[in-house]
Amino acid sequence: MTASLGLLRKLSLAGALVAASCAHTPAAPGTAPTSPQPPRGSSPAAEARPRTVATQTYSAQQAQAGEPLFAAHCGFCHGRDAMGGETGPDLTRSALVAEDVRGDKIGPVVHNGRPEKGMPPLNLSTGDVAAIVAFLHAQKTKAESNQGSRRSVEEGDLQTGDAEAGRRYFEGPGGCSKCHAPSGDLAGVADRLKGLELLQRMLYPSPRSGAGSPATATVTLKSGEIVKGRLAYRDEFTIAVRDGSGTYRSWPASEVTFTVDNPLDAHAAQLAKYTDEDVHNVLAYLQTLHK
Amino acid sequence: MCTRQLVPLATGLVAALGAFAFVLQPVAQSRQGVDAEMLQQPPAESWPTYHGDYTGRRHSPLTEITPANVHQLTLAWAFQTGQAQPIKASPIFANGIVYLTMPDNAWAVDARTGRQVWKYSYPVNTGFHIGHRGAAVYKDFVYLTTPDAHLVALDAKDGKVRWNVVIADAKKGYWSSNAPLLVRNHLLVGVSGDFDNLPGMLKSIDPETGSTQWTFYSTPPPGTPGSPSGGATGGQMWMTGTYDPQLNLVYVGTGNPTPVLNGPVRPGDNPWTCSIVALDADTGTLAWGFQVSPHDTHDWDASEVPVLVDGAFEGTPRKLLLQASRNGYYFVLDRTTGKALLTTPFAAVNWASGIDKDGRPTPNPAKEPARDGRLVAPNESGGTNYRSPSFDPATGLLIVSAHDGYGTYFFKPEHGAYGWAGADHNVWGKGVLRAIEYQTGKIRWEHELGGEGAAGVLTTASGLTVTGDAAVNVLALRTSDGKTLWHSAIGRVGNGPIAYTLDGRQYIVVGGGGALYAFALPVSP
Repeated sequence: MTASLGLLRKLSLAGALVAASCAHTPAAPGTAPTSPQPPRGSSPAAEARPRTVATQTYSAQQAQAGEPLFAAHCGFCHGRDAMGGETGPDLTRSALVAEDVRGDKIGPVVHNGRPEKGMPPLNLSTGDVAAIVAFLHAQKTKAESNQGSRRSVEEGDLQTGDAEAGRRYFEGPGGCSKCHAPSGDLAGVADRLKGLELLQRMLYPSPRSGAGSPATATVTLKSGEIVKGRLAYRDEFTIAVRDGSGTYRSWPASEVTFTVDNPLDAHAAQLAKYTDEDVHNVLAYLQTLHK
Repeated sequence: MCTRQLVPLATGLVAALGAFAFVLQPVAQSRQGVDAEMLQQPPAESWPTYHGDYTGRRHSPLTEITPANVHQLTLAWAFQTGQAQPIKASPIFANGIVYLTMPDNAWAVDARTGRQVWKYSYPVNTGFHIGHRGAAVYKDFVYLTTPDAHLVALDAKDGKVRWNVVIADAKKGYWSSNAPLLVRNHLLVGVSGDFDNLPGMLKSIDPETGSTQWTFYSTPPPGTPGSPSGGATGGQMWMTGTYDPQLNLVYVGTGNPTPVLNGPVRPGDNPWTCSIVALDADTGTLAWGFQVSPHDTHDWDASEVPVLVDGAFEGTPRKLLLQASRNGYYFVLDRTTGKALLTTPFAAVNWASGIDKDGRPTPNPAKEPARDGRLVAPNESGGTNYRSPSFDPATGLLIVSAHDGYGTYFFKPEHGAYGWAGADHNVWGKGVLRAIEYQTGKIRWEHELGGEGAAGVLTTASGLTVTGDAAVNVLALRTSDGKTLWHSAIGRVGNGPIAYTLDGRQYIVVGGGGALYAFALPVSP
């Protein structure tokens, strides 16, 4: 680690989250979270479903036509009912689906995929995509009338930890306080994140879709020039950064010397050290960090 | 002049074996078509099945491309599938043709030029289109399994349909991505089906007519008296097995039980889910089963390739079966009896409390999915997955695309007892290529792959290992120490590369993204 503590702080859990959080959507009536803050983020099963921004009506035939198409092309990852599968999230809790109006958000994702998350682009006709869109909106409506859907993890399920023990772990053996501060980057984290999403991002705060890696690199060229920036790409043979001006620059790895600092490495290393008790204790502690 | 079936182990090792004599068969004719006899001992220059041969070692005896000249490798041809999906299949090479599949699609490509000879597209259907492993070839048939769990026999000449039979009921939730395995006059076809509570099923089909010869159930079909699996369904055999002609046993890995994460509803070990099963090739009768994950609650299929190796174990020559399994453990079994000889982890694991007297990891109940979540290694992606490993006889290394990963696993009674019946979320993971010493399970070397991702593996008798990294590169490594000797940025490599020789020139063929690439040493223009 050669990055300064200040830099680590800047790139830390909460900082990365706020920078990448989606437009907030109000919670559905009757499922309002206890905090005054509306839920943020993508599609955590622990949160209330984001409300559909614009009421849209589709014929039953459209949704019915979309069901087998969805099952065939999307079902393996997202579940045949769109409520989450082996690797894909529950789309009835997706902020993007909530914000979609007649395919304006869903369509591009289907056509382009999300390669960084392992979702391939799909060659589907406009009509097929429209049917899938109708099916997704119908499933979302259906899911909202069916509380306690079968794969959900509710905030209440996770309350088995001891916040005081969590604080001791945070400051002591967990090493969390080397990079994070309850009155700094984590101030108010309990208001910003809830339940499963807080748990998952506590364990490993993966960069949000499109946010890029929080890692930085310092590259020393043969000329002696030193280039610092966000790590843009790295494999055995090539290293690339976006420098201070946002310009992408790459070099053969064998032609330069470089160091890479990834503040998330400490999160990955901690996974082998946590007991399940530690995990729930730290979660309980983070849940006390209100503004 | 070697064939792939009975390539001896390292010279030194063979010498050490002394009295353990292999009976070497006569070398098969190189121009021979793919038939039952040829598959017993495929010529060195061919790659006529998913694994290349019955052993599942994915090891080519070819030696033209070597560690010394591999840096000269150049593109001989590329074939664009034009599909949005990446290639997850392993190609087959037979009769001068490369056969490649994707869900609903099969191609015959000229192995000299990459030019399409024919393409077959299956009608629009509503099965799962998650991926496809590959075709099978027999005489003038090419076989394709489909997302709606049919088996289609195509004419190898022109890709026209000769017959089309139903393997399993897609309406119940079965699908197939399987590359069938031809054993004499049996075509073994597996199916998938994790989202419904369905019995695990492997069918033997007459390769000429499509009629069913036998069906093996890994978990009992409806109407079976008693509860031999403890109430579990599942155990799908979606990967291609291996075969020992002397024992006439087919070895297949079975998938996870269903309901997937709900353990309490299916008490006991849940045989034969997450198991390696040995079946009589002619009858489908179970000769033995070994459960690599008793009472799995984490989706860790034992479908990974059961690799067959004839070699020494603790000084005694034996018929061995090696599996690096999705649960993160490496197993060595005696493949005649199914008895475990070695069980040891090869990837990050935290779910077992020990190894029982039979060599099976004992699940720690504290790591079963729970209401408040459990942090478990491996995650759902597993310590490895469908991407084939390769066994190199000269070094005695099983080279595996390993994965160290953690996930959270949840189950509460409200999740019910159907299909997934729980929730799990990956937290983090990374791919590492690991070279496992087959007799000890020790990791001789490892090669970081640079993030989440992995590919299948090929080794060659010249001492090369070919695979892909987590970024965009196909890599050629030195098998003895894992050092990189060559690479090309062709896109994310999917399943295992293959090797063949045509016109006296060795090719290495590998999928990158949605295209297939053939590399060879340069020839004068």
